[in-house]
Amino acid sequence: MRRQKKNAFWIALAAPGIIWLIVLFIVPFYAVLAIAMGKLDQLFESPVAVWNPFAWSSENLIDVWRDLFGSAAFAGPILLRTVVYVAIASLLSLAIGYPAAYFVARFAGRRKGLFLVLMVAPFWISYMMRMLAWVDLLQTDGYANKALSWFGISAVNWLGGKPVTVILGLVYGYIPYLILVLYAGLDRIDPALIEAGRDLGLGRVRTFMRITLPLSRQPILTGLLITVLPMLGDYYTNNLLSGAASTSMIGNLIQGQLGTPGLEGQGAVLSMLLLLVLLIPMIYYVIATNRSSQAAS
Amino acid sequence: MAHPREGWQGHGAPRKLTRRSFLGRSAGAALALGSLPLLDACASALAGTGSVPLPRPDNPVKWPVFTGNEAIKTGMPREEGATLQVYNWVAYVNQDVVNSFAKKYKCKVEVTTFNTMDEALSKLRSGLQFDVLMGATVDVLGQLIESKLVQPLNHSYVPNITQAWSDFTNPFYDQGWQYTVPYTIYTTGISWRKDLVHENPYTMSNPWAMPWQPKYKGRVAILDDYREGISLGLMKNGIFNLNTTDYRQINAARQALQDLTSLVNVRIDNNDYTEVPTGDTWIHHAWSGDMAAAASYMPKGVNVDVVGYWFPADGRGPVANDTNVVLRSATNPVLAHEYLNYFLDLPNVIENISFNGYMQPLTGVTPQVLVKEQILPPSLLSTIVLPSYFRRGVAELQLPVDVDALWQQAWLVVSNGI
Repeated sequence: MRRQKKNAFWIALAAPGIIWLIVLFIVPFYAVLAIAMGKLDQLFESPVAVWNPFAWSSENLIDVWRDLFGSAAFAGPILLRTVVYVAIASLLSLAIGYPAAYFVARFAGRRKGLFLVLMVAPFWISYMMRMLAWVDLLQTDGYANKALSWFGISAVNWLGGKPVTVILGLVYGYIPYLILVLYAGLDRIDPALIEAGRDLGLGRVRTFMRITLPLSRQPILTGLLITVLPMLGDYYTNNLLSGAASTSMIGNLIQGQLGTPGLEGQGAVLSMLLLLVLLIPMIYYVIATNRSSQAAS
Repeated sequence: MAHPREGWQGHGAPRKLTRRSFLGRSAGAALALGSLPLLDACASALAGTGSVPLPRPDNPVKWPVFTGNEAIKTGMPREEGATLQVYNWVAYVNQDVVNSFAKKYKCKVEVTTFNTMDEALSKLRSGLQFDVLMGATVDVLGQLIESKLVQPLNHSYVPNITQAWSDFTNPFYDQGWQYTVPYTIYTTGISWRKDLVHENPYTMSNPWAMPWQPKYKGRVAILDDYREGISLGLMKNGIFNLNTTDYRQINAARQALQDLTSLVNVRIDNNDYTEVPTGDTWIHHAWSGDMAAAASYMPKGVNVDVVGYWFPADGRGPVANDTNVVLRSATNPVLAHEYLNYFLDLPNVIENISFNGYMQPLTGVTPQVLVKEQILPPSLLSTIVLPSYFRRGVAELQLPVDVDALWQQAWLVVSNGI
């Protein structure tokens, strides 16, 4: 009886979260699915959601499949470009973020709080505002080019559709997420383990390679997951910092389809496919976390 | 003159082909036969969605007035203490003019904005209620009228229509101005920085090809609009039917734009009004109304004279107008009519143009007035739209659904840099 009451208490406690999930995730998800498998209003060229799964049409799905992999596929290269941009941006984020997080976790001492505040500070400003600030900084007569001119370097057309600008924009936009996750993971590493390594005769580098790095594998995985997922669906970094067709990403394609009368259904399918692709690293993450927990216990 | 009802089909007529199968079959047939079939069969019927006619200058349309959606009666009293709900594009009206209307008619006016016509249509269809829709484009009038989202006008409440150009008292897209009054007018041309670009489009043999110059790589942009974009490709290729249904022409335009990406890494955006003045872009496919406002965006110390806007001197280029309509859901229809009337009165129109740069087709809005009122710098007189442009110019009008899909698909490929 007491056990039943206890269970009911926990269910009641979880209820708001579950209701929240149903209302704000499952219902919208099903709405997207109903549009993806739905029809087209002939008068307005707008999508008509079909809620009954038995009446679903596969037309949009087939169209998107052809766009991605058919003989006249045009979306395939965009997908490839997106993967390349995100991979480079993620690796750069890791290369920049890991040392920063490592420093704060291991060497910041009493100033740890200050550094944490500095790391969280970018979250106080919206992503779009930060990108718009970069537009000002990077324009022809912006501060970036003025700074270059001090060294005799001629002005660079940063906003002229350069992949490097988009990639660096992605790095700048998402790196705080990575650093915070890495910091949380690195801070939890028991210093005694590192000291033990040093006591057993390992140098600084080998201690890092044999103890710290293996123990930070899980935070790295989590951090990358948290940054890669939004990067893959990002569209406004490219919109604001490039705007060139040659740097368009899959998010831009989806945005284009969703904003084009008659193509919203295909945009919905592409969104669903992207979600399915993103599920792969998420499932891997869950498995890896479980394995790690089991190994620890 | 053709009867406006020509080309109409029964409501809800079943479609014989899906959009994609139509595309596939057109392309397939073309490959098989060695020459692509003109899709003019679609256009000849001038039926867009199977039930809505496609207005054309040579096929003007008089829209029906549906039972239960008639115009309001003459002589009705104005709604007292009302709040007029206006639905408009972002930054497409001078708030000072809106406020002066509210003051004069002792009412409140709330302006809600949208970003695309598609968004506006979706929200109106979802049941959002407004009194006035400002800036309705000509290509969606059929949809608005057919779905009874707008109400016919009672002309007795809009006496200021006499101030408008005569072309707009009987436009081909709404014979007898039953549902619409004109709002803004604009051309699409090429804007460039005279101090950074050596060529002058006025002396070029094909100014529409001006963006195709590799030496300006990274400094060229085109408008982010599938009709404007593909139309630029068409005109570069010497095609001036901007409602073409010919697959070959659309395909060639797409290829031209893809070549443009390869040549100059073209940017696709609608920031012509800021990018050219700041010098971030040197050649921009542009709208006249945007460039008319260039002076407001010039960096400190740079004179607006360095900004140029080219539109064919003979008027043979894209020209368009937006309209204002009273929505059927209007709870203040009399006030809504008076609002439309207010935006056809010269002093208000001049003040409105001073904010958004887009001209309105009133006989009193002349180049001399715009320069005298310091709304337009003399160096940008080319942004002025003349009545003759609507006779000689080319308009991007509503396309048959399946042909529209061809244009959209071509643009998706261009805008994603394939």
